[in-house]
Amino acid sequence: MTTKTPAQEQRDKIVYGVLAVFIFLVFWYAVTKLTGFGEIFPDPVTVLANVCDKFVNPIGKVTLVGHILVSLRRVLLAFGVAAVSGIVLGVTMGWYPAVEAIFKPVIEFLRPIPPIAWIPISILWYGFTEMSKYFLIFLASFFVVTISVYSGVRSVDPMLIRASKMLGAKDNQLFTTIIIPSTVPYIFSGLQVALGNSWASIVAAEMVQSNSGVGWIIITGQQSSNMVQIVTGIVCIAVVGMSLVMVMRGLESKLCAWNRQGR
Amino acid sequence: MKKRKKNLWILSVITVIFILFIWWLVTDKLGIFSSNTLPSPVKIVKTFIKKLSDPNPDGATLIGHLLSSLKIVLSGYLLGVVIGVPLGIVMAWYEKADLMVRPVFDMIRTVPGIAWVPVMVVFFGIGFTSKAIVIFIGAVVANVINAYSGIKQTKQVHLWVGGTFGASNWQLLTRIALPSAFPMIINGLRISLGGAWTTIVAAELLASNKGVGYMIQQARGILRPDIIIVGMVVIGAVGTLLMWPLGIIERKFMKGGKW
Repeated sequence: MTTKTPAQEQRDKIVYGVLAVFIFLVFWYAVTKLTGFGEIFPDPVTVLANVCDKFVNPIGKVTLVGHILVSLRRVLLAFGVAAVSGIVLGVTMGWYPAVEAIFKPVIEFLRPIPPIAWIPISILWYGFTEMSKYFLIFLASFFVVTISVYSGVRSVDPMLIRASKMLGAKDNQLFTTIIIPSTVPYIFSGLQVALGNSWASIVAAEMVQSNSGVGWIIITGQQSSNMVQIVTGIVCIAVVGMSLVMVMRGLESKLCAWNRQGR
Repeated sequence: MKKRKKNLWILSVITVIFILFIWWLVTDKLGIFSSNTLPSPVKIVKTFIKKLSDPNPDGATLIGHLLSSLKIVLSGYLLGVVIGVPLGIVMAWYEKADLMVRPVFDMIRTVPGIAWVPVMVVFFGIGFTSKAIVIFIGAVVANVINAYSGIKQTKQVHLWVGGTFGASNWQLLTRIALPSAFPMIINGLRISLGGAWTTIVAAELLASNKGVGYMIQQARGILRPDIIIVGMVVIGAVGTLLMWPLGIIERKFMKGGKW
């Protein structure tokens, strides 16, 4: 195998990536044009045209951008609250055995329930308000972040803790110089998973019950048998989902540049 | 030290009892929450026992709903595994395929399984097929990606050593790459099973006439939170139980001890 420089590898990846997506689109187009599949499924050009069209013309009450923003606001607000409280609880659970003993059984009991299974009860409790969505997204993120941060704190090398104690570090020094830095990768992996969960959950929640958002776009598409609108919705979900992942990864590589070597 | 551990265990038990007691207090005892919003723990246990054999009010017993959901999940999932894992391995082993197929999978992966439901419902209606296909898509994608990354993480040095000692391409794959990839493959099996179970619940919330997701959705319509909570707990428990055989496989077949 010939060795390539990282820059070359990066370039290859981009070139092949673009090429692959292009071939995929051509394949999609060909299948819809050449086979009977086209009668029930739109070709990519129609979908793309529809996406552009809906940027200015509204679906329902607002434009495509409006729907995306509605969904994003729901996710980011609740995710933010869940991230902060999850990190705090995870760290305290990892550090104080008493806190761990109190919260662990409750979390272990609730954690296996998929966030989507909370949808009916969230509607029953909060009606069709924004609150029911926030509640759901909070649950979708909170447990994941908490458990991830908790296991991060638990897996800090005890040798480091003992060494710094021996050298006279105070509790708060121990905390800021050892515990937090070694937990950061776990915090990020928790946040990453939680954000993905949240995005999938909001789509599901909007499909079950709402009057705006990306999930709503595809479900109304289904109700009116409008396949173009369904696929438009799916494309938006994919693009926004991918952007969220990329933003998260970007943040991580900025904040944990020191950790990359070890991977 | 041992004594302290024991005290903590007691603390856990006390917390759980305390929560149940408060819950019982605000529902049955003081009636702060009516049974239409938050039923008491006693009521939930009663509903659970009753629902095991009583098909009312949604047309099937709890067992019936569960079996219906499990049948769909396992069909879609197993098919996804059988196709996804080998495909991932092939993709990783043959370089050219990899650069082309990977971006497409990365793209599809970002669409949550649930978003495919409307497409499949338009194609196949709300029955078995549409949901099994949605589960299948999710399972294939997750398994391909994990099998793929597993093979890719094989240490190049190990392959060189194998090659130096005259191993054939097939031997390199089965003796070196596959065992190295095994933990990742199992991880993929696990992730996709969890995903499949979540997706079936979501799909049944939207379009179904049987299954655990359908059960809790119906219970919402007729204001029966006790059935919803029974359903949620059962969904959580079954999701955990499903993972169990994978843990056994992992312990049994993973060579070389810890990773």
